[in-house]
Amino acid sequence: MSDVLSTVQATFLSLDSQYNLLLAACKNTKQKDALENQYAVAQKAYQMCVDNMLSDDDAQVAALSAQLKAANQAVSQSVTEMGNISKVIDDITTAVTLGAKLASMAPFKP
Amino acid sequence: MFEFRNVVAKLRVSFRAIAILLFTGIFLATGCKTSDDAAAAATQMSATAKSLSDYYTALNTILANTEQLYILNEQLLSKPYTAENRQLLKSNEAELAKRIALAADFSTLASEFAKLTGSTAAADVSASAIKLQTEVDGLAAVKASTNEQNLLKSALQLFVKAIQEHKEREAARAISDFSQGLTALFIKEGEVWNSVETVYSQIAENLAVYLVDKEAIDNSSLLKVALDPFGLTPSAAAPELKAKLAPLAKQQITARKTALDDSYIKATDAMTKSLQEMSKRIQAVAEDKPMAFRMPPITVANVEKWASQVESY
Repeated sequence: MSDVLSTVQATFLSLDSQYNLLLAACKNTKQKDALENQYAVAQKAYQMCVDNMLSDDDAQVAALSAQLKAANQAVSQSVTEMGNISKVIDDITTAVTLGAKLASMAPFKP
Repeated sequence: MFEFRNVVAKLRVSFRAIAILLFTGIFLATGCKTSDDAAAAATQMSATAKSLSDYYTALNTILANTEQLYILNEQLLSKPYTAENRQLLKSNEAELAKRIALAADFSTLASEFAKLTGSTAAADVSASAIKLQTEVDGLAAVKASTNEQNLLKSALQLFVKAIQEHKEREAARAISDFSQGLTALFIKEGEVWNSVETVYSQIAENLAVYLVDKEAIDNSSLLKVALDPFGLTPSAAAPELKAKLAPLAKQQITARKTALDDSYIKATDAMTKSLQEMSKRIQAVAEDKPMAFRMPPITVANVEKWASQVESY
C-alpha cells in the first residue's frame, strides 16, 4: 500500500516540478489542455490515495473511539466510586464519633 | 452504670469489627501500585496527549496551507485545482479531524486519570481519612487501649491507600489497551502523514523557486549578514543585484525545505517514541510493575518544537 502512495506521490510531484517547462513547450491549446488535465488527474490520484489509506483506518479509528469512551467511563466510574467510598468513610466517622461520645459519658474499665 | 459498661464493651467490639472490615478491604486490594506511580503515569500521559494533539493540529495547518498553495498555483501558473480535488482534500481534512478529536478525548482521559491521583475525589478520601483518624485519636477519651487505636489508625491508613491504588490500577488497565491501540494507529499512518508533509514542502518549494525566477520576491534580506554588523538595513535590491542574488535565494529555499522535512521526521520519530514509552509506563502501572522513570518522556519537546514551527508559517 505504501508503495502505491509513494509512486503516485512521486508522479504528482514530478509533474508539479516540471509543469512550467512543459507548459512553455506546449505548442497549442490542445496540448495545454491535455497537460492541465493530466495535472488534475495526477493530483486526484494522489488525493484519493491518501483518502483511501485514511478511510481504510476508519474502522480502527471508530474502534479506538469506542475503546476511549469505555476507558473514560471506567475512569469516571472509578472517580465516582472513590467519592462514594469517601462518603462511606464519612459515615464510619459519624458512627465512630457518636460511639466515642456515648462511651465518653461513662468511665471505661477494661 | 452497667448499661454504660455494655455500651463501651459493644463499642470495643465495633472497633474490632471495623478493624476486621478495614483489613478485609486491604486484602481485597492487595498487590496495588504506589500512588506515586499512578500520578507519574497521569502526568506523562497528559504531556504526551497534548503533544499528540499539537502534532495532529500542525498537520491540519499543513493541509490547510497545501490547499492555499493549490489555489495560488491555479491563479499564478494555471495548475488546475478542480472541485473534485478540493473535495478530496476536504475529505483528507475530515479524516485528520477525527484524529484530532481522538487526541483531544485522549487529553480529557489523561485529565480524568489525574483525578484519580491528585484531584478532589482522591483528596476527599484523604480528607475523610484524616477526619476519621482525628476521631480515632479522640478515642483516648474513652480510654481505649493504645493498641486498639494504633490498630484502627493503621488499618484506616492502609485501607484508604488501598482504595486509591486499587482504583488507579483499574483505570490504568482501562486506558492501557487504548494507548497501545492509538500508538499502533499512529505508527501505521506515519507514511501518510509523511507524504502530506512532503507534498506540502515540495509544492511550496516549487512555487517559491518560480517566484524567485519571476523576480517576485525581495531577496535583499540575503545582504543582512554584511550590513547588520554596521547597523545598516538593505533596501530592495536593484534588478541586476536581484538577479545575482537569485541563486542564493534558491539555495536558501532548498536548505529550508530540507530543514522542514528533517524537523518533521524528528518530530514524528519523537511522537512515536513518546507514545510507545507512555504505553509502556501505563501498562506498568496497570500490571503492578515498578516504573523506572517518572518524568514525562523528553522526546515530546521535539514534537512541540516542530508543531510551534508549523503554526508560525
